[in-house]
Amino acid sequence: MQGEGLLAGLLGSLKPRRRRRQPTEELPLASRAVGYTVIAALLAASLPIILSYTLLVELSFSASFIATPFEKTSFTLENWRLFFQGRLAPTAAQIYTPSYIRRMILDTLIVALGVMGVVVASATPAAYAFSRMNFRGRGALMRFLILLHAFPGVALIIGVYAIYVYTYRRLALGLHAGEAALLAYAFLYVIVARASLEIPMSTWLMKGFFDRIPWEVEWAALIDGASRLRVFTRIMLPLVKPGLAALSIFSFMAGWEELIYVVVFLPSKAPTLASYIHSQLSGGAIETAYLPVVAAAAVVYLIPTILFFVFTQSLLVEAAEGAGVKA
Amino acid sequence: MVEVELRGVWKRFGDFVAVKNVNLRFPDGKFSSILGPSGSGKTTLLYLIAGIYKPSRGEILFDGEDVSQLPPNKRNVGLVFQNYALYPHMTVYENIAFPLTIKGLPRGEIEERVHSVARMLHIDELLDRYPHQISGGQQQRVALARALVKEPALLLLDEPLSNLDALVRLEIRGELKRLQRRLGITTIYVTHDQSEALAMADLIAVIHRGEIQQVGSPEDVYRRPRNLFVAGFIGMPPANLVKATVTRAPAPCVVIAGGGEYCPGEPLASKLEALGLEAVVVAFRPEDVVLGEHPMEDYVSLEAEVYVVETLGRENLVTLRLPDGQAVKAITSPLLNPRPGDKMYVNVEPSKILLYDPETELNIEAIEAAPAARPVSLAEASERRRAAQEED
Ligand SMILES: Nc1ncnc2c1ncn2[C@@H]1O[C@H](COP(=O)(O)OP(=O)(O)OP(=O)(O)O)[C@@H](O)[C@H]1O
Ligand SMILES: [Mg+2]
Repeated sequence: MQGEGLLAGLLGSLKPRRRRRQPTEELPLASRAVGYTVIAALLAASLPIILSYTLLVELSFSASFIATPFEKTSFTLENWRLFFQGRLAPTAAQIYTPSYIRRMILDTLIVALGVMGVVVASATPAAYAFSRMNFRGRGALMRFLILLHAFPGVALIIGVYAIYVYTYRRLALGLHAGEAALLAYAFLYVIVARASLEIPMSTWLMKGFFDRIPWEVEWAALIDGASRLRVFTRIMLPLVKPGLAALSIFSFMAGWEELIYVVVFLPSKAPTLASYIHSQLSGGAIETAYLPVVAAAAVVYLIPTILFFVFTQSLLVEAAEGAGVKA
Repeated sequence: MVEVELRGVWKRFGDFVAVKNVNLRFPDGKFSSILGPSGSGKTTLLYLIAGIYKPSRGEILFDGEDVSQLPPNKRNVGLVFQNYALYPHMTVYENIAFPLTIKGLPRGEIEERVHSVARMLHIDELLDRYPHQISGGQQQRVALARALVKEPALLLLDEPLSNLDALVRLEIRGELKRLQRRLGITTIYVTHDQSEALAMADLIAVIHRGEIQQVGSPEDVYRRPRNLFVAGFIGMPPANLVKATVTRAPAPCVVIAGGGEYCPGEPLASKLEALGLEAVVVAFRPEDVVLGEHPMEDYVSLEAEVYVVETLGRENLVTLRLPDGQAVKAITSPLLNPRPGDKMYVNVEPSKILLYDPETELNIEAIEAAPAARPVSLAEASERRRAAQEED
C-alpha cells in the first residue's frame, strides 16, 4: 500500500547514504562499480514514488491544479487554511463543520493506535509462548498461523461483515445501545478485525526475535530471583525492543492506511483520512473535488509514516540486522 | 551455608537419559567439583541442582529439605553459566545489581554491595560498560560478581574458565579458590579439565554418560581410581592400562607381557582368588614408572621397546611398546633421553599397581567382598543341593 511504498522509497534513498559513510576507497574498483550500479538501480526504482510524492506536496501549496509536472503555479497557503478549517469542499462551503478535520485525524489515529495496541499486546505474548513454551499442538498451531496469514483480508470481509451485522443488531435492538456506544462498537470492531489480520504474521516476526535470545539469559534472571513475569518484562521485552519497534510501526501503518474495513464498518460520518481521500477520488467524485485540498489531506496522511520512520529508523536497522540480541 | 544432597536423581530428555540414578552429597562450605568429559551430563546435573530442570525421578535436598519442586528463584543459588549469560542490554553495574534490584533493596545498599563485590573481583573500572565492550575474562568476573552479590548459600560454576587462555585461567583459578575459602560458600564447580578439579576441589565427583563413577578427595580419585574409566581419565597423561593374565601357582599372581610378574599380598590375593578371575587389567601411573636399562630388585619389571620420546620441558614423556604390542607411557627425567627402538625396562613399585576386573571394570580392591552378591560357584551349588536333599 501507499505507506509501505513510501517506506520502501525512504529505505531506498537511505541505503546509498549509509553506504557513503563507509570507506569506499578501500573497495576494489570492480565492486565499487557494482555499488554504483546498485545505487543507480535503487534510485531509478524509487524515482516514480519520489516524483509523485514531490508532486503531491507541491500541489498542496499551489493555487491551482497542476495538469503536468512542469507547469508553473503560484505558491499559496490557501489550501492548508481551507483544510484546517475543515472546508474540504469549497464549493459547498456553507455546510462544513469546523471540527470535521480534527475529528478525521483523530479517528484515523484511533484506528491506527488501536490496531497497533491490539497487535502488539497479543502478538508479543503469543510469540513468547511459541518461542519458549512446549505445549500440545504447538507445531500445528504455528503452521495454522501461516495459513491464516495467507487468507486475503478482502475475502474474509463477508464473514466478518456477517458477524458485525449480527452483533450490531443485538446491540442496537436487543440492548438498546445508544448512538455513542454503537459508534464506539464500530471502532472497536474495525480495530479488532483489522488487527486480527496482522496478528499471525506479527506473531511469526516476534517469535524470531524471541528465538534469538539464549535460554541461559532467561535462566540467569530466574536464578537471580526474578519471577517469570519479571523475567519477561525486565529481560525479554527489552531484548526484543527492535522487534517491538518494527511491529509497532507496521501495525500502526496497517491501521492508519486501512481503507476497506473502515469504509465497510465505520459510518460515513466518521471518515478516516484514508476513507476521506478515497471518497474524494472514487465514483466520479474526482471530477468535482478540489484536488489541492485533497492533496493537503494526503500530505497530512503521510506525516506519521515519516515521523515514525525518522524516530525509529535506527531501531529498524537494528531489527533488520538482529543486532539487538547478542549474548 | 548449605549442604546439598541428591538422592536417586534421574533426568531424561525424551528417550535419552542424561543423568542416571545419581546419589551425591556436597558438604557444607566445601569446594566440590563435578568432573567429566564433554557430554557426560555435568551441565544437566548442575541445572538440576539450580532448579532449571526438574528431575525425572529422585529428589534434591538442601540441608535435608526437599527442594525438587522449588523454582530457581526460590533456591538462593548463584550460577555462573558456561557462556556467562550476561544481560546484553544492561551495563556491567546493572548486571551485577540485578539480583538486588529484584529483591527491592534500597538503592544505597545496592550501590554499596555492587561496588564492594566489583572491587573484590577487580572490575570496578568496568561498571559503565556493556557486556560486549569487555573481554572474555572480564565477562567471567562480571558473571561471578552477579552470582556472588546476592550472597547465595550455594555457588554453582559451569566451566567458568574454559573460554580463557591458559595464563589467565591459572590466575583466576587461584583467586576463585581463595575467594571460596574466605566466603565459605558451598561451591560446586563443573569442569572437564581434571587438572582444574584436582587443584581446586576438596571433593571430586567423576561423571561419565550420566553416571557417577567415583566420589572422593583429589587424592582418592588420583591414587585409587574406582574403575577403569576414572583411571583412564584422570592424570596427565592418564594411568597405563595393561591387560594381564592370572596364574595360580598356588597363590594368585598376575603375569604381564614383557616378563613382568606381580604377586599381590593380602588382602588383595584372597580377593583375586575369591573372584576367580582369569584376566585382569593392570593400572599404574606414568609418573610411577622408573625407566631403566635393567630390571630392578623388588619392582615389577617389564621389558619394552621405546616408541616415541616427547620433550615436555620439565620432564620427558616416553611411550614404549610391550612385546605384545600394548603401549605404556612413562614420565622420566629430561636427562634420560632414550632413542626409539631402544630396549628398556619399565619398573613399577608393586604398591603402585592397581588391579581391575576387565568385566565390571571395577578396582578389585574396591569390590565389596559380599558373597551373596557373587554368583555361587558350581561346587558350592551342588554342595548346597546335596545338603538340602539330605534334609528332606
Ligand atoms: N535439552 C536437552 N534435550 C536433549 N538432550 C539434551 C538436552 N540437554 C542436554 N542433552 C544431552 O544430555 C547430555 C549431557 O549434556 P550436558 O550439557 O549436561 O553435558 P556436559 O557434560 O555439560 O557437556 P559439556 O562439557 O560439553 O558442556 C548430552 O548428550 C546432551 O546432548
Ligand atoms: Mg556443559
